[in-house]
Amino acid sequence: MLLSKSEGKEFLLMGNQAIARGALEAGVSVAAGYPGTPSSEIIENLASVAPEADLYVEWSVNEKVSLEVAAAGSFAGLRSLCVMKQNGVNVASDFLLHLVLSGTRGGMVLIPCDDPGAISSVNEGESRYFARLMEIPLLEPGDFQEAKDMTKWAFSLSEELGNVVMLRSVTRLSHASGNVKLGALNRTKPAAKFNFSGNLLDAKTGPVITAPVPFRHTQQQGKLKKAAALFETSPFNRYEGPENPELLIITSSACYLYSREALRVLDTEKRAGILKLGTTWPLPPELLKKHLAAAEKVLIVEEVLPFLEENIKILAMENIDSIGKIKFFGKNDGTLPSVNEMNPDYVIKAISSILNIPYTGMPEEYEKSGQILSFTKSPNRELTFCPGCPHRASYWSINRALTLNGENGFVCGDIGCYTMAILPAGFGTIKTAHSMGSGTGVASGFGKLKSFGMNQPVVSVCGDSTFFHAGMPALVNAVHNNSDMLLVILDNSGTAMTGFQPHPGIPSGAAGNELPSVDIEGICRSIGAKTFTADPFNVAETEKKVLEIIENERGPRVLIMRQGCALSPEKKGKKKYNVSVDSNICKGSDCGCNRLCTRVFRCPGLVCDSATGKAMIDEIICAGCGVCADICPSGAIKRSEVAL
Amino acid sequence: MIDPFNIIITGVGGQGNVLAARMLGNTLAKAGYYVTIGETFGASQRGGSVMSHLRISKESAWSPQIPKGKAHLIIALEPVESLRVLAAYGNRDVKIVSNTRPIYPVGVICGDLAYPSLPDLNSAVAQLCDDARFINATEEAVALGHPILSNVIMVGAAAGLGLLPIDDEAFKSVISENVPESKIEINMKAYRKGKEMVGDPVKF
Amino acid sequence: MQVKGSKEIRAGVLDSGLCTGCGACVSLCPYYATHKGKTVMHFSCTREEGRCHAHCPRAEVNLDRISSQFFGEEYSASPFGSYINIHSARAGDKAGVSGFQTAGTVSALIKFALEKGYIDSAVLTKNEEGFGVPFVIDNPGDVEKASGSRYSVSPTVKGVNDAINSGRRKIGAVGTPCQTLAVAQLRGNPLKQEGFTDPIALSIGLFCTWALTASDFTALMKSMGDISTIRKLDIPPPPASSMEIETGNKSYIIPLDDIRKLIPEACSYCHDMTAEFADISVGVYEGKTKQNIAIIRTERGRKIFEEAVNAGYLETEKIPEEAIAPLAAASMNKKKKGLGKLAGANLINSETGHTVIRMKKSTLESILKGGASCC
Ligand SMILES: Cc1cc2nc3c(=O)[nH]c(=O)nc-3n(C[C@H](O)[C@H](O)[C@H](O)COP(=O)(O)OP(=O)(O)OC[C@H]3O[C@@H](n4cnc5c(N)ncnc54)[C@H](O)[C@@H]3O)c2cc1C
Ligand code: SF4
Ligand code: SF4
Ligand code: SF4
Ligand code: SF4
Repeated sequence: MLLSKSEGKEFLLMGNQAIARGALEAGVSVAAGYPGTPSSEIIENLASVAPEADLYVEWSVNEKVSLEVAAAGSFAGLRSLCVMKQNGVNVASDFLLHLVLSGTRGGMVLIPCDDPGAISSVNEGESRYFARLMEIPLLEPGDFQEAKDMTKWAFSLSEELGNVVMLRSVTRLSHASGNVKLGALNRTKPAAKFNFSGNLLDAKTGPVITAPVPFRHTQQQGKLKKAAALFETSPFNRYEGPENPELLIITSSACYLYSREALRVLDTEKRAGILKLGTTWPLPPELLKKHLAAAEKVLIVEEVLPFLEENIKILAMENIDSIGKIKFFGKNDGTLPSVNEMNPDYVIKAISSILNIPYTGMPEEYEKSGQILSFTKSPNRELTFCPGCPHRASYWSINRALTLNGENGFVCGDIGCYTMAILPAGFGTIKTAHSMGSGTGVASGFGKLKSFGMNQPVVSVCGDSTFFHAGMPALVNAVHNNSDMLLVILDNSGTAMTGFQPHPGIPSGAAGNELPSVDIEGICRSIGAKTFTADPFNVAETEKKVLEIIENERGPRVLIMRQGCALSPEKKGKKKYNVSVDSNICKGSDCGCNRLCTRVFRCPGLVCDSATGKAMIDEIICAGCGVCADICPSGAIKRSEVAL
Repeated sequence: MIDPFNIIITGVGGQGNVLAARMLGNTLAKAGYYVTIGETFGASQRGGSVMSHLRISKESAWSPQIPKGKAHLIIALEPVESLRVLAAYGNRDVKIVSNTRPIYPVGVICGDLAYPSLPDLNSAVAQLCDDARFINATEEAVALGHPILSNVIMVGAAAGLGLLPIDDEAFKSVISENVPESKIEINMKAYRKGKEMVGDPVKF
Repeated sequence: MQVKGSKEIRAGVLDSGLCTGCGACVSLCPYYATHKGKTVMHFSCTREEGRCHAHCPRAEVNLDRISSQFFGEEYSASPFGSYINIHSARAGDKAGVSGFQTAGTVSALIKFALEKGYIDSAVLTKNEEGFGVPFVIDNPGDVEKASGSRYSVSPTVKGVNDAINSGRRKIGAVGTPCQTLAVAQLRGNPLKQEGFTDPIALSIGLFCTWALTASDFTALMKSMGDISTIRKLDIPPPPASSMEIETGNKSYIIPLDDIRKLIPEACSYCHDMTAEFADISVGVYEGKTKQNIAIIRTERGRKIFEEAVNAGYLETEKIPEEAIAPLAAASMNKKKKGLGKLAGANLINSETGHTVIRMKKSTLESILKGGASCC
């Protein structure tokens, strides 16, 4: 489908596929990003056709570098794309601040995929505010067709303005599918050349720099004004509804679909209208003035923070003479929540209260019995590490070593599958968890508090991909400041959380191409940290090692726990051991064990026989790692190596 | 067909939920319908519940989330998931086709939580909806050669209810776009099996 | 006695500064562990009843019940608990032991009992990098490897559990009063396990006023140089008020006041100076450096002791009444202080919450009201 030539044919596409197709229709040449749900499939889709479509696609070390890589493409005159999840924009923002001043050449589009409601994130950050802060155009597709069409348009818009354009998606578009009519592919392979010998102030031929700042900044703001003018007539801004609506809804993105649905559900399309904006920064003033003037009540529907709401209110205030008084409904007055994702029900509720239309989604009686039945009969599905996951074994050893040490040591967590160690899956070992690489930065700080009497051992964990992304500078900081901390690198050879994208430690690239790999252990040593390695599947030895490193070593230390992810292509479906439980030896819930393996270790491959309390192996689920045989205090779990 | 027709496919990571939703969605899109699928699969590989919302309409695209209480058909690849979905999106008239094979949450495996017996679950479901059909899709899938085929059987069962304008040929063409040539027949077999089974559900 | 589980141990003992570090809960299951003299708990166990609680000398210890079990009489307010007689003793030439702390009585007894088959193994406490660790031996020749006192808290009873787990059933156990109390409790089969037989064939108790927090004490010793060169470490009886340490070429004298800072809070709750539930209790004979005092408490203790004397492994002397007066006073003093502190914290016969000791109220009152305590 991605390279289908059937122009005009309709396909059911996932939002991220639609975006990838849009980029291909625009003739994108360079695409870079850092994996993060819900954004990853855009780069993955492009990578899957990279050789055929003459693209350069890479998973970069982090979002900032990916933006720089994409910018280089643009500086050389190519159309380039950069993709990341919402919080990635924060990482990239330093470069972005300067990029928007210098401007771009080939069409350049930055696509953040926001995750309102934090469905697969540890934050519900807003990338939209960056567009305003950085003074660049912001586009928000309202459905799947627009996801494709607006992506395509964004490239030419960028070229027309000479600056990067932000196109923001959200989980409910990126990870949803809808009908999309394909357009024509652009399969030219343009030549790349970076021109720099022109006049210093010439945006097309001079060096690409931010100085002189006042000059460039003025230019940049000019571009934004031009964008606003262009947006006045954009087909992606549409009004649907009566001429003088009782209620005007202004919305964008997936919220457009929720709003339209709400009006239909309440059968109130004749009373209320929707101004659906595809270009949400800068706002096209004339278009808004026209619609605001025709309404007295305005409901602004958007996700998380009142971004549109604030901007519209400023515009309304500035034009109060022509628009007149308006009663606004939105986040600030509490009509809609300013946390969590939107859904049709929120919007239905808002409209029904504003227009006084009674609505019951679910009869109270039904809701109550549904909740009780679901609570009592459908056991909660708690998240856990996979069977055979090395993280379970790693945390087992780290947790036990810290307990043995007995000095209230703790672990600063980081972002990846291994963040789940805040849950019972990882024995609750993690005590702080924030952003990429910050576990080690925080630990670096904790490790300097000895002079204030803090004697707790400080440990941080970090995945291999996260280490490259933002863990490295934190380690450099810890080494340089001689912080007393231990960084445990949970090296499972891949970006497992988001689906095994390669990272610099892996000898292959986004399209499966062969690449040199960067050695984590070598880096740590050369940074100057005392560096150790361990195999987390050897639990006794790893526990001993962690304890020794905590107690007998001082200063910045690194322990690399190396063991491949259970889902990795090399491991999946291949058992190292056949494992079984001897029920005659198993102590089950008796004093002397109390179900250590099923109750505490909790590998899903171990099943508790509810009648006897004894353990059994579920052959289908067990991945054959053999670790449970080492933790059983009774020697009841037997393992034998599978002949290869 | 009610327009929009709201379908929820629910299950657990690894059951082929997303694929089932796309097969069903593509079949209907081929028949000229607007289809919107909303997926929640962030934690799918790690034992969590996975849910897809499908909106089918002749008129236009609908939002990727079904409003509370407004599902018309629930396809449960895992039995207790149907109950969870009913509590949020159910109503008396919703139709349910559910697989009977449980996938135990880790809390149940560990012995901390209880999993209801099927008759028990069936009566709980019956308190919330009038037409729930349980079929042993996993068992049939294993008989056909692979447990993963249970998702195709469930799609077949949904088609067998006759609520949706699903055309067998359209389904076949979607299957052939998604699986290797050699696997088309077995998938069609699973689909037909599901259609048959839904008329003769498990009795409790 | 009310047996509870690890939740109570964690809250009532480990997290309340009551844990003696005896190791009685370690090696029973995967949840407890001991490291550098400290007992810790991995994860949590949900059992309502467990051996950890039943054996712990700081949880629901019923003095009257244990006393009745071993001596056929309730716990009394006397200074030494129940006993048959008291001797002055030291290792005889036949024993051929060296490196002992006071006069080698303990080492000689264990060696004799092993050689004569009264016990098939012994649980002693040896020094490992400055920490006391349990040492299970089957061979009389190994006794000397563990002679001498480790003044730091040592998880000796873990060794008893290890010995039992490995199938040994005629064990000789040497321990401080808290350790001996734990051993006494496990001998009573508190969880009523089927087919249980008392695995302890000889229990030797050491007199004890206090032990030291292991990590702090080891750090102190390390600050004096290579701890592997320490030859002797002793606390001479009053009036001396210091600890003497001899290393390869130097000797150090550390004021006892400095040492006392290293006493764990747990010891301040202890009421037992003479290991009242042992078969034989052994300590220092104040004023006679080359002699131990040995309190013979049980018939089997008396039998082994007398045979050891007859075989020349021990040499004994009669001990004059007045010679044990200082010990009696010190012992009563410890009882008063320990029980008094426990009572003050509502840890004796408590109806609700954690209880360390259960005993007849009148006995407790008589101890607490007894002659004024000195120092
Ligand atoms: C912590 C501690 C405090 C003591 N306090 C006093 C006191 O206040 N007054 C007094 O009269 N006597 C006290 N003693 C006893 C004294 O030190 C001698 O152990 C006792 O006199 C026996 O002497 P011995 O020559 O027969 O011992 P040895 O023949 O040297 O045998 C000593 C035995 O004790 C064992 N042992 C050593 N350290 C420990 C330990 N930490 N825990 C358990 N067993 C151990 C050894 O394995 C050895 O078998 C104390 C002993 C200890 C360990
Ligand atoms: S840890 Fe061993 S003894 Fe305990 S329940 Fe599991 S298999 Fe049985
Ligand atoms: S061997 Fe044990 S720990 Fe490893 S996957 Fe199987 S059940 Fe889980
Ligand atoms: S109750 Fe038994 S299994 Fe549980 S902690 Fe105590 S000794 Fe261990
Ligand atoms: S006093 Fe002994 S038995 Fe009790 S918790 Fe401490 S080490 Fe364990």
